[in-house]
Amino acid sequence: MEVLHNLAFGFSHALTMNNLMYCAIGCTVGTLVGLLPGLGPLATISILLPLTYSIPTGGALIMLAGIYYGAQYGDSVSAITMKIPHASSIVACIDGYAMTLKGQTGLALFTAGVSSFIGGTVAIIVLAWFAPMLGEVAFLFGPADYCALMMVGFVCVSFVTTGSLLNGLSMCMIGVLLGQIGTDVNSGVQRFTMDLPFLADGIGVVSIALGCFGIAEITKNLDARTERSPFNGKINLMPTWSEFKRIIPSALRGSAVGSFLGILPGGGPTIAQFVAYALDKKVSKYKHLIGTGVIEGVAGQAAADEAAARTSFIPLMSIGIPENAVMALMLAAFIIKGIQPGPNMIANHPDLFWGLVASMWVGNVFLLVLNVPLVRYWLSVFKIPYNVLFPCILFFCCIGTYSLNNNMDDIFVTAVFGFIGYMFMRLDLDAAPLMLGFILGPMLEENFRRALLLSRGSFGIFVQRPISGSLFGLIALFLVWQVVIFFLKSRKNKIPMLAIPPHEAEA
Amino acid sequence: MAISLLFGLSSMRYQTGDFSRAGPGLFPALVSSMLFAIALSIVVRSRFVPKIPLDLHVKNIVVIIGSLCAFAAVSMVVNMIAGIVLMTFLATLAGSNYSWKRNIKISIGLVLMAFFLVHILGMNLPLY
Repeated sequence: MEVLHNLAFGFSHALTMNNLMYCAIGCTVGTLVGLLPGLGPLATISILLPLTYSIPTGGALIMLAGIYYGAQYGDSVSAITMKIPHASSIVACIDGYAMTLKGQTGLALFTAGVSSFIGGTVAIIVLAWFAPMLGEVAFLFGPADYCALMMVGFVCVSFVTTGSLLNGLSMCMIGVLLGQIGTDVNSGVQRFTMDLPFLADGIGVVSIALGCFGIAEITKNLDARTERSPFNGKINLMPTWSEFKRIIPSALRGSAVGSFLGILPGGGPTIAQFVAYALDKKVSKYKHLIGTGVIEGVAGQAAADEAAARTSFIPLMSIGIPENAVMALMLAAFIIKGIQPGPNMIANHPDLFWGLVASMWVGNVFLLVLNVPLVRYWLSVFKIPYNVLFPCILFFCCIGTYSLNNNMDDIFVTAVFGFIGYMFMRLDLDAAPLMLGFILGPMLEENFRRALLLSRGSFGIFVQRPISGSLFGLIALFLVWQVVIFFLKSRKNKIPMLAIPPHEAEA
Repeated sequence: MAISLLFGLSSMRYQTGDFSRAGPGLFPALVSSMLFAIALSIVVRSRFVPKIPLDLHVKNIVVIIGSLCAFAAVSMVVNMIAGIVLMTFLATLAGSNYSWKRNIKISIGLVLMAFFLVHILGMNLPLY
């Protein structure tokens, strides 16, 4: 009952004229930018974050959330119609594009739109029930537990996003070190500023995000030099009743998977859609057809994608710890607006919390309207040549960076991180863990120093407390498991080499 | 490894204190040490995996970074309208084809957008 009352309170905020407008703008702009080749949700939020500076806090957060799940939607449209994958829509390319090749683009888009709506709705119910509960648990957390939780986040994100734990962890640590640049809040000492005054407040999160995701993505697309021909096929959106009935079970399965995986550290839309797709391949009535372009191959993963995008807000809003890079950027946006997410947020800013939750459902309705009946108009975005598009994106990057502090020096910093981000991309090092490390770095240091102060310098505090002890135990088990796998793999590779006779090996 | 050394050695300039009263240099020194250890593991691992050539297109990234820097520099010295025009003409050098006419149209569009941001959304941009 209390949840329903809180949701009604949230809707009273979300349904004001201003908030409806911000939600609609966020969904529309997010979908529009998400459709563009090479720009995933992370790059979209980075580019559009500055748009929210002059907007009231509640509206800004609603708009940013709209941009995020709008970009998720936009991604799936470009994946289905033109096989342009982003990290958040790789699975949509498999059956979605296969349906396009079979002339069923309309059905694929309808399936993705309706499934995303179902996924989003289920996830909002989970969010409304679970976030306040987890918020109460978060009051039990001490500084050592927060440190352990952040380390779990680093390990999970490193493993999930890059596939290589070492590469991911190194990026996290670089991010943490970059977060140290600026004035130390405890002693007032300026660290690693190279006596440059504009670095006294640290490096701006927008500069790093735009450099590593915006500029680096633009350059990568320019390197590819592939001019994609726009989609010109016919779109028949209305499915038959039997086709519609096939969407529901897969979408519900995907919603459950996405809602669960979205909450876990390192989880989020990417891993959720893979798991939902694999689950449909195991249990669906049409499992033998999945991969050839069927409804079940699109519905489950689309629902999981959208559900995970929403439930990944739970750890951020209830504990204050983002579980992936997109949420880290959302945390930065909260902080820019003067709000510290965490257990106190629900108690101190119920209007913001419940307004945001309710606006997610309103945004869901907007996206259903934008992406199902109006999808054919969105596809005209692809008619804009990339040679026209990229100077415009660069312009928004410059304006966004400058408008943060009204300082041109920030653009030079963005340029430097553009180069660094591009080099990382070419070295196959994902910048997402760096982003997480950068945003969590100062929090990690603060909690680390506080924990050691409480324990009078004893590291035992990290293993003696039940929560931090369990979490560090899990990390240790995971690391041991990774080392075992590495040795097993290298042994497996050695055996066939040994099996080759010496004269053949020489030949 | 270079990054870890850069931060690690620099952190020695600050007070490290002890674990119960950590100074500003302690945490960066610890993180740098961890990064160094991870980097060392990556170097050792690289000996056991096949080599992959680095796919690097230096021209495009140099042009894009150059256009950003030119935008900032010209905006500081002259004004932002000149910065926008210069950025457009420079950045499009990285495109698949180059057209003066198209660049003029893009520049006009972006300058109009900048005026919209200043006069309608109330942003503070040094346009002229």
